[in-house]
Amino acid sequence: MNSPYGRSVWRIGFFCVLCGLLLAAPTIAGAMEVRLNSQTLLLFMQRNTPTSTDASVVPLYEYLQADIGARSTRGLSFHFYGWAREDLNDSDYYADNPDGELLYGYLDYSRPFSHLNLRFGRHYVIGGLANNSIDGLSLQTDLGPDFVLSVYGGLPVAFDTTAGRSGDSIFGGRLAWHSANLHEVGLSYQNINNDGSTEDQRFGLDLSLALPAGVNLSGRSTYNLESDGFGENFYEARFALSDFNFRTFFENYTYADYFAPGAQTPNPFYVLNRTGEAQTNFGADVVWRMSSDWEFGAKTKFYTYDVNSSSAAYYSGLITWHGQDLTQIGGEIGTMQGNAADNKYILSRAFFYWDRPAGLPLSFISGDLLYAAYDQPIYGQDNSFFASLGAGQHFLDDRLELKLSGDYSSDPYYDSDWRTMLVANYRFDY
Amino acid sequence: MPRRPLLFCLLLLFSILLLVACSGHDQGYSLPALHPPEADLGRNRPTCTDCHEERGGPLAFADFNHTAYFAESHRNAAGRNVQVCNMCHQPSFCNTCHATGIELKPSVMNQSDTYSRTPHRGDYLSRHRIDGKIDPGSCFRCHGNPKAARTCAPCHG
Repeated sequence: MNSPYGRSVWRIGFFCVLCGLLLAAPTIAGAMEVRLNSQTLLLFMQRNTPTSTDASVVPLYEYLQADIGARSTRGLSFHFYGWAREDLNDSDYYADNPDGELLYGYLDYSRPFSHLNLRFGRHYVIGGLANNSIDGLSLQTDLGPDFVLSVYGGLPVAFDTTAGRSGDSIFGGRLAWHSANLHEVGLSYQNINNDGSTEDQRFGLDLSLALPAGVNLSGRSTYNLESDGFGENFYEARFALSDFNFRTFFENYTYADYFAPGAQTPNPFYVLNRTGEAQTNFGADVVWRMSSDWEFGAKTKFYTYDVNSSSAAYYSGLITWHGQDLTQIGGEIGTMQGNAADNKYILSRAFFYWDRPAGLPLSFISGDLLYAAYDQPIYGQDNSFFASLGAGQHFLDDRLELKLSGDYSSDPYYDSDWRTMLVANYRFDY
Repeated sequence: MPRRPLLFCLLLLFSILLLVACSGHDQGYSLPALHPPEADLGRNRPTCTDCHEERGGPLAFADFNHTAYFAESHRNAAGRNVQVCNMCHQPSFCNTCHATGIELKPSVMNQSDTYSRTPHRGDYLSRHRIDGKIDPGSCFRCHGNPKAARTCAPCHG
């Protein structure tokens, strides 16, 4: 699987399965729904490549999604999503990257009784400690009225880049106890083996408690069984006062336990793992829906460290006006204030999205402006500017959407960078 | 751990769970597979509590209001109730950010969707030099494995 040949075989195999299911679907189940979503992106940009400077790079991306089976009623269904890329200018900009990826391809069986959900194939598992893509099997079901159990096992997709897949495995699960909406407590476990040795093994606790006065407390703690220590503690409380929605949070990370100590932990995290550092963050955000049109937000987050004995703080505020459908105009300003001069910046953003503009033959027009000022120059430049303008139109009863956008940026990495992108989204149902 | 006994144990566990699940009784409130189509959600950012009780109902719907900060604070709510997300979003939508190898960052893939407040917009390459030093845990959640860290490798090794 690690070799280009292996990846090709994998892709061709799934493509064949997909085609077979597509062809067979109407026959094996007359009522079965088939939905295809194609997103084709063509980018034009100039980049330095391993062999040339300011080379034209023209990648053509195809992101294809297929869903076969009734989505609105439970039962058996098949789901596929993957992408492939071809550089039309044949530059070597992507020489070190794969030309495509299967993101998921799985059979799903679900039924309302017991809230059973069974998935087989490449799919993403979320819940408790799990936030992983696996090639394998997962199952979730109620166990009586008060318990929910989910288990999964297979091969971890994230580790197929290192010495093949022999000796790789991932398995885990979560058992949750809940009572109506008053509380939920979950215990989870995850074990990842890479090339025959344990890469990561964790135990997790997550909870959600409905407290008096409409306060909801939720969070999680993870214990690293390999390094014997709590890697993460993250808890937040949410509550509402009139039209104001508040969230306060506290999080603590012990680097030696949070950044997995396995041999394949990528940099820069592998290095951080050995610093002995521990970080504690806390803060709050509030959103005020003044009316259905106006929304205001403010956020603050403070960072402290044990070893480094420094601190930092982030403050930001935003305002958004909501119009018809997705129409919005908004602005945001924030500042990061670290102890060291090179840990400070000011960020500002203004954007608009005009949905279905009246009198114009377009489905939308959008724009985005970002400006950041750095306290200390990065590569000799102390600010960055980004601008984007886009427009789109629907065709074929809204099944086809074409979007064109142009971006300009001037920043420490690119003096003056133009990028153009043409996107075609096509949706097919039968 | 030897592969064969592990596989056997997993299959046994799955089989038992399947039997238990299939013989189970109705557990009361059941989320629909899709959000009821008769409820006109419109195209705007959904605010669940416009129709549902904030807390005290079968779900804490307030946690799923798509406020301006929802993209950066949905972790706890989604981690416990991903089925709620699935009522409106296909997994491919979540894969825009939660994937191990999608190559294009969310803000490029959805460049013109300026309302969606996707992460890493604009010149994040420069800002990440500061954010990464201050809060590396936020990077690790998405880039903490060999495949997802390919974007880090050209500079970080």
